[in-house]
Formats: sequence, structure tokens, C-alpha cells
Amino acid sequence: MSTKPKDKTDIATGLLLMAAAAFFGWQTRTLEIGTSLRMGPGYFPMVLSGLLFLLGALVLIKAFGREGEPFGKIAWRGMAFILPAPVFFGLTVRGLGFVPALFLAALIAAQASSRMKPLYSLLLAIVVTIASTLIFSYGLGLPFRRFGPWLQF
Amino acid sequence: MDLLSNLALGFSVASSLANMAFCLIGVILGTLIGVLPGIGATATIAMLLPITFQLEPVSSLIMLAGIYYGAQYGGSTTAILINMPGESSSAVTAIDGYQMARKGRAGTALATAALGSFFAGTVATFLVAIFAPPLTTIALKFGAAEYFSLMVMGLVMSVALAHGSVLKALAMVVLGLLLGLVGTDIYTGTPRFTLGITQYSDGLNFVALAVGVFGIAEILRNLEDEHDREVMTKSINRLLPTRDELRQMVGPVLRGTAVGSVLGILPGGGAILASFASYTVEKKLSTNPGEFGKGALAGVAGPESANNAGAQTSFIPLLTLGIPANPVMALMIGAMIIQGIVPGPNVVTEQPALFWGIIASMWIGNLMLVVLNLPLIGLWVKLLTVPYYVLFPIIMAMCSIGVYSVASNTYDLFAVAFFGLLGYLMSKLRCEPAPLLLGFVLGPLLEENLRRAMILSRGDPTTFVTRPISAILLLLTLGVLVLVFTPQIRRRRDEVFTESDA
Amino acid sequence: MKMTLPRRLLLGAALAMGLAGTAAAEFPERQITLVIPFAAGGSTDVVGRIVADRMSKSLGQQVIVQNVGGAGGSLGGQQVAKADPDGYTILMGTVATHALNPLILKQKPYDPVTDFAPVSLLVLVPNVLAVHPDLPVNTVQELIDLAKKEQLAYASSGNGTPLHLSGELFKSMAGVDITHIPYKGSGPALTDVLGNQVPIIFDNLPSSSGHIASGKLKALGVTTKERAPSFPDVPAIAETLPGYETYSWNALFAPASTPPEAIAALNKAALEAMADPEVAKRMGEFSATIVASSPEDLGKHVTAEMAKWEPVVKAANVSLD
Repeated sequence: MSTKPKDKTDIATGLLLMAAAAFFGWQTRTLEIGTSLRMGPGYFPMVLSGLLFLLGALVLIKAFGREGEPFGKIAWRGMAFILPAPVFFGLTVRGLGFVPALFLAALIAAQASSRMKPLYSLLLAIVVTIASTLIFSYGLGLPFRRFGPWLQF
Repeated sequence: MDLLSNLALGFSVASSLANMAFCLIGVILGTLIGVLPGIGATATIAMLLPITFQLEPVSSLIMLAGIYYGAQYGGSTTAILINMPGESSSAVTAIDGYQMARKGRAGTALATAALGSFFAGTVATFLVAIFAPPLTTIALKFGAAEYFSLMVMGLVMSVALAHGSVLKALAMVVLGLLLGLVGTDIYTGTPRFTLGITQYSDGLNFVALAVGVFGIAEILRNLEDEHDREVMTKSINRLLPTRDELRQMVGPVLRGTAVGSVLGILPGGGAILASFASYTVEKKLSTNPGEFGKGALAGVAGPESANNAGAQTSFIPLLTLGIPANPVMALMIGAMIIQGIVPGPNVVTEQPALFWGIIASMWIGNLMLVVLNLPLIGLWVKLLTVPYYVLFPIIMAMCSIGVYSVASNTYDLFAVAFFGLLGYLMSKLRCEPAPLLLGFVLGPLLEENLRRAMILSRGDPTTFVTRPISAILLLLTLGVLVLVFTPQIRRRRDEVFTESDA
Repeated sequence: MKMTLPRRLLLGAALAMGLAGTAAAEFPERQITLVIPFAAGGSTDVVGRIVADRMSKSLGQQVIVQNVGGAGGSLGGQQVAKADPDGYTILMGTVATHALNPLILKQKPYDPVTDFAPVSLLVLVPNVLAVHPDLPVNTVQELIDLAKKEQLAYASSGNGTPLHLSGELFKSMAGVDITHIPYKGSGPALTDVLGNQVPIIFDNLPSSSGHIASGKLKALGVTTKERAPSFPDVPAIAETLPGYETYSWNALFAPASTPPEAIAALNKAALEAMADPEVAKRMGEFSATIVASSPEDLGKHVTAEMAKWEPVVKAANVSLD
């Protein structure tokens, strides 16, 4: 490691932007580009990917020669429980039905905080589920099955 | 006078006891559902639409319109309190509104939004009443070339949304544009960037993106370090703005109303730009632009007024042409047809009671909204005293329901998780979400109109400068560009950047 | 969510027991979901909601509408094709979901014939060929003559939609070339034609009718074989181009192997709904012609439509991934 100052955050930003640009550019390769006068589906994405790559490179270059702020802590526990909650709801709402899917999704999300006690999170999930079922399913008549086919028979 | 008798007819229809009641119910329901995180105006209207079918046509549309304003206002409330915008317009409100809330000024921000919206709503309602037909003529002058130039102007303005590095803001706009292109190319039907998933063939869900990069990213930020996390509920000062704050609001509200009214008329996506444009204007005019992004009152007052004015004037193409300017309007058209009304230019002459009744109810609805919400501010602000770890499982549950209810698409929920992760990553890398969001909304419009203009002009690119309105818009863009990149302003931006925010 | 074989058997057995134990006339025992494969507010949604409302009365159980939009109707169609074949999930199918998409899409989301049990063909909706009043033509023939001299353009609600293909069929039968400009739905396409950004449009008659009545659009012809009762002065395109016929339609479908008793109950409710004078009035305002067919006739209709559109799709060279 050199002693020269550099902004680590911006180095990461620049590299990630360039990676994203490369991903989009790679996806564009099968699309027909066309001409400026008669643009194909790939024309606009190609120009934009190129532009994004350039901007990423500029961010990267400018990151050298100045000190950045520290990256800070990362919410690993938060990510581990918050992000799966909607995914779980989506995967189970048709099979399990609205009530159990929502209850479990809320329960999963509640685990994201270390301050939440197990019993309390259970209680919270129950309250959220009852309230939402009353509002959305009974009140507004949204077309969700309350208990799905996985729970029958 | 014609206008007076028309308005009198309108008010006599709208102020009947039944219609007042439906308007009130609409406003209340709209606010209550719209205030749920992740549920914006479109989802709210879609959820409440069936309720209105049983009513008389006028009552049904009055109630729907009430739901619409209520939901919009409710959406702004969540944007301010928990950084969860449910529509593109309230995303701008979230930028400074949420910062105000963090500083204990949630009450002021909410009151500003309510008062600004009411003023803008009143002015725009009169504009609709007086100028609807001539304004429609202007809207029809906008073809593909004009919309393209307008979108370019919007993109240039978007850079001003950022309060950090210009370079990163530009990168976020471009990334947003690319994300906006996900889906089926309308000219050839080719799927782009869908990774072979049919569920994404109509593009990524906007609410999923907004909820993810704003709301979920914010939840994750709060979970980073729970032990010495700032407690934003510590000091909630006054609920209502002071005399001085009211004075500060006047300019932004007036300008926001003007910007919003003009852009709202354009059915091809003008209203989307209203709040973004107003924010840019306020930031450029401000004597203290560094304050923007950290809780500037003008950053709430301007965009909220613009947003509400645009929402009113976007009824103009709906009422005079029967053409929906946005998904909400499309739902209202459907409601009209179900009620046996053929939407189109004849509505004004064949159903004057309906036409003027709706216009009058717009104003009544706005009045109800402000009367209803000023006292509610206290209640909303109290919500902030609920411990954060109790609040976010509720938020996650609500936004899952909200996103799923729009199209029953499981993949939209996967998108929520993905954008939550992206939003958190962006915040760690100090990239701002607002320019990304604007790029996302404008991307498809930009490309669609560019390609359409080129096809219509048979490949002649001069179409953008030979069509007068387009040429004027491009000149204005050039002006904005110069303003953004002049050295003096740049220095100011850099100062802002070095001050830096947490 | 493919069902495993044991589960399918179990379900079949349970159904058989249910049918043996109680009278078949007792379908429906709970609410029925009508999947509309398009966004709320569109014409299919409107027809669906009016019918669902009236069917609820006949069936004594709520028929609730669920909008599953996306991929031109394929996602909603797919969901019903894979749903439990018990009659409690049905689809509001259209010319797009049950004739055009299966022909156009390279990856077939479902088979319109073998994956579905037809219930009833409800309505036919005419399309219309209209122009901006400034375009110096008054008849279909004059438009054809002008198109031979000048390069014209027409707007449609999107690539591969019935309206786009109506336009393509018109071009091939008239022997002219008119540039196709696709939009995202009828609304934006109409806006540009009203503003004379594009001179010609193929549209659903219901969404254009207000503009035609007020003179903001000049209707040259309807696409049905006969003139539309709501616009008796507008000729049929077939009067100039004999044999030209396209229209949109809405029909109810259940998943394949739904018990015949359930199909019969649904069909009966649908026919009752369409016979209701209030529904008939709404459909009339909507320029839709009521058919209210038997399940068998809908089955034949789907096969006939696929046969009719196949050469058009091939000739227009439209294909989507």
C-alpha cells in the first residue's frame, strides 16, 4: 500500500460502475444496433453502457489523490433478515395464502434488530397479520386467498 | 358569465350532501391507505376502485378523485416520515422532507406539504376551469420530438438533484436510464436485459425501485449500529410552521405551482418532471443551496406544490380528450366507461354536470384534505416515537402487500429485495438515489420519443431544431447546462461536497 | 407450481367424492377469481368487471376480479393455465391471449387449445380505421390511393397487438406500404393522432368512439364484416376490400380438465349476465356485440381465429421472443 491518499469508497464506486456497464454492454451484444437514423433495440443501451463505463472510469481516476471518509459499519444482520422478507412473501403468498405468508414475512423482518425479543416479535407479527387481513382482505376485498392450497387437505 | 354559471353548476353538484360525503370518504380512505408505506396513489386507487362501481357516475368519479388526492398526500407523508416514497413525485419530497424529520422538524415539513398542496390545488383547479380547452390545444402540439427535448431538459436538471459529486450523480442518472430500459422494446418486441424472465417483460416495477433504494436502504442504515444510533424522535418542536417559515414558503410555493401547472398538462409524461423541475429551480434560486439535501424548507414546499398542481392539471387531457396522462388516470377512464360515460371531448358538452362537478369537487377535496390533515400531523409525528425496530417489520409487511397488489407479480417482490440491496450499497458508496430514480422514469420515454421522432422525420435529425417548441426546449436545456456547469456554481457545489453530510 | 401426480390423484379423488356426495349444482361453494390478464382500466378490464359483477348474482358467490397484467396478457393466461382445474380460477381471454400471442411468441407460454377449457365467447368488439380530419381522404379507397403516392404512417397500441395486425392485414390486402408507429397502449397513440403527429390510427372502436362522434377523428371504416350498430354511417372496410375482417373479442376460459359441471354452471351464469338488459346496454355503449356462446362454440372459435391469423402473422413477419 502506498502512502498516497486515496478515496477507497470512490475506488469501489468506480469499479462497480464499470462492472455494471460491462454487464449491460455484454447483455447488449445480442441486440440489433441499427444506425443513428434507424435505431435498433440495442442502440440506446449500447450508448448508455459506454457512457456509464466512461463515468465509472472518471470516478475511479478522481479517487486517487484525496482522502475519503471511512466506509463505516455494515448492517449484515439487517440485510440477512430484511431483504428476504418480501422475497419470502412473494414465494409463499399463492401457496400458503395471504395470512400465513404475511405472518412469516413479518416475523422474518422482525429478526433484523438485535433489540427485538423473540416473544415480542411473535406478538408483533400476529398483530400486523390480523390488522392487514382485516384491512386488505376483508375491508378492501383484495383478491388474495387467505389460506392457500398448500394448507388444505 | 359562462364560467361563473358553469362553476355554479359544478359547485351545486359537488356540494350535494351525498357527493360531499363521497368526496370526504374518498379523501379519508385515500389518505389512510396512501400513508401505508410502499402503497402509492396507483396501488391505492386500484385497491379502492371496485368500491366506487356501485355509485352514481358523478359520485363515483368524485370519490375516485378524492382518493387520488388523499393517496398523494398520504404518500408524501410516508416520504417525509420514513423516507418511503410510493410515487415518482413524492421521491423528491423525501430528499429534504425526511432530513427535516430527522432534525425534529417533521411537523413543519408535513404542514408545509399540506399548505403548499392546498394553494397549488386551488390555483390549478381554476386553471382547469378557465383554460382547459386552450391548454389542450397546446398539449396536442407536443409530438415525439418535443417530448424528447423535454426529457433531455429533465435529465440535465436532474444533476442538480444531487448534493454530492456531479460525476456520481451523472453516473446514477445513466444507471437509472439503463434500468429503465429493462423490458420489451416497443418497436421490435425484443426483450432487453430481462435475463429471460417473462415477468420483467413490461419493465421493472417503479414502486419496487422507489421502496428499495429509498426506504429499505434507510432501514438498513438504521440497523447498522443500533447502540449509538441517533434517536430522531428526541426533539420534536412545534407542529406548525412559524411566521418566518411561512414567509419562506411563499416563493417556492408560487414557483412550484407555476411549474407544476404547466408540466401537468402534457399527457406524455410531463407531470413526472414537475416536482423534479421545481426542486431544481428552488435550488438554483436559493441563496443557500448547500442547505438542499439536508432539510431545506423550500425543497419540500416547491416540489410538493408542483406535484399537486401537476396532479390537478393532468386532469385536463383526461377531461377534454379522454386521454389518460398516467396509470391513475387510466383507472379513472375505466371507471367512466364502466359507468357508461364515453370519455372524450364530448363529456364537457354532453355531461356538463359531471364535468363541472368533478372540477368543483377537486377544490372541495383539497380543502377537506388540508382541514383533515393539519390536525392529523400531530398523530403522524407521534408515529415517529414508535421504536424503529417495531416500525420496520410493519413497513416491510405493508410494502410487500402494496407491491404485490398492483399486478400479483412475485418477481416485483424479488425486485424490492434487489433494489433494497442496491440502495444500501449506493448509500455506502455515497451515491444518491434521486438521480437514479429520475433516470429510471425518463429512460423509456427518452428512447421511445427519440426513435419515434426519427421514424416520423424519416431519419432527419434536424427535426429537433426545426420544430419550434422542440428548439425552444433545447435552448432552455442549454441554458440550464451553462448554469449547472458555470465555475462559480461549481465552486459552491464543491464546498457543499467537502462539508459533506452523514 | 406444477402439481405432482399423487397430488393430482388426491385432488381428483376428492373432487369425485365431493361430486358423489353432494349435488353437482352446488358449485360454487366459495368465491371465484376472474383473472384479467391486463391492467385495470383497459377495455378487457371493463368488460370483465361488468360481467363479474352480474355473474356474482347468478352464482350466489362473489366473482372477484384480479388483474394480472404483463407480457401482452401472457402472464395472466399462464397463471390460469396452471391453476387448479376446479372452476374457481377463470380467465377473461381475448384475441391476444388465445390467438395472437400463441402465434407470435417464440416461447409459447401455454397452448390456447389444450391448456384451457372454453366457457363462453362473450362479446366481439370492432376495431376502426380512423384518420386526422386534416388528412385529405374521406374513404378507404382514397386512403389507399394516397398511400400509393405518399409515405404515410399509422399508429397502433403496440407491436403484435390485434390493432397492429389489423393494420398489417390492411396493408397486405390493399397492396400499400404504410409505416407502423407502435405506442404503449391506445391512449398515447390516440393523443398523437388527435394532435396530427401521426395521421392514421387503427384503434378499438370503444376507445375512439368519443372522438369520432365529436369529429376530432374521421372514421374511414370499421374492421368487422358488417357495419357497427353504434356507427351505422361508417362503412365496413370489407366494402372496399372484400374479405377484410378483424375484431377483438372477450371470452371466459377455465383451466383444462375443469369438471364439466363447473363449466356448465359458469356458462349458465355468463349467459344470464349477457342477457341482462343493463349489461346489454353497457355493452352497446361500448360498441361491443354480444355473442354469449356455448363452450363448444368458443372452442371452435379459438381454432378458427388461430387459422385466420396465422397467415397474417407470417406475412407481417411479427415475432416476439
